[in-house]
Amino acid sequence: MKLVHFNNYRLGVLKGDRVVDVTSVVQDIPHVGPHDRMSRLIERFDQYRGKLEQAAQSGQGIPMEQVRFRAPVPKPGKIVAMAGNYLENGTLKEARPINAFLKSPNAVIGDGDTVVLPPEPVTIFHHEAEVGMVVAKKASRVNAADAKSYIFGWMNFIDVSARGLGPQGMDTFFQGKSWHSFAPCGPYLVTADEVPDPQNMPIKLWVNGDLRQDYNTNDMGHKIPDTIAWASSIVTLNPGDVIAFGTNHQGLGALQDGDKVEIEIPGFGRLHVSVTDNMKRSWPRGVDHAMADRVAGRA
Amino acid sequence: MKLVFFNDFKLGVLKDDRVVDLTNVVQHINQPTPQDLLNGVISEFRTRYRNQFLEAAEKGQGVPLSQVKLQSPLPRPGKIVAMAANYLENGALKEARPINAFLKSPETILATGGTVVLPPDQANVFHHEAELGIVIGKEGAYVGQSEAYNYIFGYVNFIDVSARGLGGSSFFWGKSWDTFGPCGPYLVTADEIADPQNVPIQLWVNGDLRQNYNTNDMGHSIRRTIEWITSVTTLEPGDLIACGTNHQGLGAIQNGDQIEMEIPGLGRLKVQVKDDLKREWPRGIDHVIGDRVAGRA
Repeated sequence: MKLVHFNNYRLGVLKGDRVVDVTSVVQDIPHVGPHDRMSRLIERFDQYRGKLEQAAQSGQGIPMEQVRFRAPVPKPGKIVAMAGNYLENGTLKEARPINAFLKSPNAVIGDGDTVVLPPEPVTIFHHEAEVGMVVAKKASRVNAADAKSYIFGWMNFIDVSARGLGPQGMDTFFQGKSWHSFAPCGPYLVTADEVPDPQNMPIKLWVNGDLRQDYNTNDMGHKIPDTIAWASSIVTLNPGDVIAFGTNHQGLGALQDGDKVEIEIPGFGRLHVSVTDNMKRSWPRGVDHAMADRVAGRA
Repeated sequence: MKLVFFNDFKLGVLKDDRVVDLTNVVQHINQPTPQDLLNGVISEFRTRYRNQFLEAAEKGQGVPLSQVKLQSPLPRPGKIVAMAANYLENGALKEARPINAFLKSPETILATGGTVVLPPDQANVFHHEAELGIVIGKEGAYVGQSEAYNYIFGYVNFIDVSARGLGGSSFFWGKSWDTFGPCGPYLVTADEIADPQNVPIQLWVNGDLRQNYNTNDMGHSIRRTIEWITSVTTLEPGDLIACGTNHQGLGAIQNGDQIEMEIPGLGRLKVQVKDDLKREWPRGIDHVIGDRVAGRA
């Protein structure tokens, strides 16, 4: 099933190239807003799946082109983002020491929204195309062997990043990663049953039509089950939480004023966001090879 | 006003050493969770609930505090933004260190009376970090320093329990373990703390005074902190800012320790420590970290 939010955070299910409004199916779930309605739906999905499928089947739906998609998880309880989690197209002999950071839930934006670059003395802003996973049920100290049952679904995710801020030698992920609008995701939240092999998916990101990132999740350093096990050993994961699995830095490039960014994992829809910068700073266009070389250990 | 959650997350208001149940006053608030209830109260506190609570406190008999089980007054904040290296270390530092913060998992929250569980991972040491906690009263983005205090709902005692030496300098690995965020026992409204930039903070382990500092030693002021955080990300009602700690007086925590922390007017937060591995560290103040952070090492 492909779940979406659209227009004024109506809940929809995709049926071919049409969106069927299923908001009424979930109205009885106690919630404060669209953000916790989604996570509380996920928590009780077994009870609602059948009703959603039925509504999707019987509903006419609206053509996709006629709706405005919104973020499928507008404000997750947590976003656990993996750092340095790819082998960089096999250039690294082994995975880097496992590490993660929390990205602000308020950073989430959706398809058609705008990434706003803050007026900070950054060295550069980068896109980081990633696969995002949504947690199905409460997970604490889970075994890697059981990890699969904790996966609700998947979506495109961009971990927009500001480089060069904050004190040297300290963890500065908050001011690198948590800016307003720095977590585009969606447009679809694809349930796990439609993604049989998440460890083998191509991820592509374009800026202004030029292909920048083009990698496969089989290049991941710490694989999905181990990552879920590790993250859940430190923090309890809740339904609707997001894990972003990190990025392959080969193909990273600058983001700047006026850019149009697109990311697509096959089956997940295409996420489009634009970029604005009041300071109108400019950086070289194309792939940032300096960064790529450094992360791959070639610099 | 001092608000608490007690027993099965009933909301209450303190009246001296008694708790008056506010359940009836707030039952119509949309509250899928206790935090949702609190956020609903915070959002309409001045316009609606403050007077109703005062009335309830006046009329109600209440039950003695000793007869209820206190929960965290902040059951699960949407965000915990924790300041890093934010003190001048009793004036040892000439100026504040470059401003920095990290997100601490909301799942760290632990109520008074609870147990901090040390994970089996090979940390060098585990430390207590007593801090002033600020609870946000209204949604704010790009807040200016002059209006910053308008965004404060109230204050809580908070301990930023920390694991050292895991994952390099990783804050996720150091700070976000479940139970690493003791909080409470009361959520005290802002009007009860005249000057948050001048409050004493004390923490004891097994009755020995460890941390003993004042928020006037803070590096980046509360106003600057709120301004900076909201330039990065939106703060919402119920979010928690942990203002950082003065490292002079930091020490190890280990299996069996009884930790107490108090800021005058915020009640006394008491938690114990459990370590299945029964690791041992030197007792008393860890002068190594105190010296290093103060630039004396």
